[in-house]
Amino acid sequence: MIEVSTVLVPTAPKQIFVEKKQLTLESLRGRVIGFIDNAKPNFKDLVDDLEQILIAKYGARKVIKLRKRAASIPAPTAYIDQLAGACDLVITGSGD
Amino acid sequence: MAVTVCSTAFEVLGRRQAASLGCAELPIVLVPHPFGSISRSALPKIAKEVAAQIANLMAEKNTSRASTVLVDHCEMLNVSSDVEIFHRLCIEQKLSDGLPVIPPTPERVQKMLAQSARKPEEVIARLAPAFGDATVARIATNAVMAGCTPQCLNVLIAAVEAIACPEFNLQGIQATTNPAAVWLVVNGPIASALGVNGGANCLGQGVSANVTIGRALRLIMQNIGGAFPGDMDRATHGQPGKISLCCAENESVSPWISLHVERGLSTETSSVTAVGFSGTLNMNIHSKNAHEILRSIADAMAHGPSNDYWCGGEPWIVISPEHAQILSEAGLSKNEVKQHLWEGSKMSASRMADKDLERTRRTRREELGEITAHTKLSISRSASDIGILVAGGEGTHSVYIPGFGNSRSVTRAVDAI
Repeated sequence: MIEVSTVLVPTAPKQIFVEKKQLTLESLRGRVIGFIDNAKPNFKDLVDDLEQILIAKYGARKVIKLRKRAASIPAPTAYIDQLAGACDLVITGSGD
Repeated sequence: MAVTVCSTAFEVLGRRQAASLGCAELPIVLVPHPFGSISRSALPKIAKEVAAQIANLMAEKNTSRASTVLVDHCEMLNVSSDVEIFHRLCIEQKLSDGLPVIPPTPERVQKMLAQSARKPEEVIARLAPAFGDATVARIATNAVMAGCTPQCLNVLIAAVEAIACPEFNLQGIQATTNPAAVWLVVNGPIASALGVNGGANCLGQGVSANVTIGRALRLIMQNIGGAFPGDMDRATHGQPGKISLCCAENESVSPWISLHVERGLSTETSSVTAVGFSGTLNMNIHSKNAHEILRSIADAMAHGPSNDYWCGGEPWIVISPEHAQILSEAGLSKNEVKQHLWEGSKMSASRMADKDLERTRRTRREELGEITAHTKLSISRSASDIGILVAGGEGTHSVYIPGFGNSRSVTRAVDAI
């Protein structure tokens, strides 16, 4: 017969959270779009290309581009506040 | 509305972390990995595809989910008492570091908790990248698993406080592709009370307090912080220090003030310092001349691919008692040693690869102005950012410990028992 022991689980529950309602837009036309560039190679160029397309093809009104000092640090609070206040859509970069 | 553009290899990290922050529905648009290697001429096509995916998101219906709240309590499991079966279970469930662990029975965890005046349900910190709540009870559970004696609990509580400080940048250290790990340095009376080794082989195996405290912190970072290798932990290679690295300062033989006193604590206060680091390098220097020793150490510190140079980081030197004595007898204080090393380790930016120099120019422009290939880069923003620890046994070796770069060490006092 297998003996059984009780042990405590070493992990935290996944997770205590309240699912946030994702705000959506009906279209990009007339919208202000913000970017937080994660400072990884090529992302700045991708953002520049996206800026042109989002304005020319999808009718976005304006693009605001902010770039982190380095990839492995959080975006400054000032960036988040600026984009949250000014933008309808914020696009961030992640990974390599 | 928010969207993340993520390279494919980091999709798991992105989705897991979005869920951790209550945004499981965050749209993620994927681009090929490694994105940084793609030629400039190929980017416009990718940009078109990304823009189209973002535009398509606008057309999707908005479905919101009801709120979900999970009860926060430490769960219990019934498991086999057989240690081999328990070991395999922990491997399968990704609860261990690959080595066997001590089953954290309620009796063992209770013995551990008896060493702390804090309540078991107290949340010491939320640990990135999964932002799990590191309660005293969960810290104790992982400490039991690692093989810690109960008296180690207060050191681990202080260590968890330290790594959760914003300047430590646990998010960066846990999720990076770099081989970043956490080195714990114990100072004050608790070091000898616990038997934490600061002498011979202090960075190696053999002394239980060293190995188990470091190991417990890794289990905490993994099990509560959520960073399991290949999952949220994206390390390309990792390093042995990710299993465990903890030591004491060899305070009794150091000619200078100890680390915790340097940081404002009294000699009688016990403390733990958490350092984010990238590896260790032996410096075998037989010279008995102080300035030769410093020149050799500074030479070893300077290397092109260093994170410290492109960030203005926090490199560390573990100085052997022998080298420390020579430096001190030459009239050098700890601060003077730092100054000599800072000056001597300045490195021509031309030693960096092009893209690394480009990154450095951007990252340190505010601090250093315009950087060219001819600029002499300092390893840290100031000499005081170089960490010095006297530790080790006999021998002509000191150890260079490069920092993670975007992290600052944090010292926390340990609760008195």
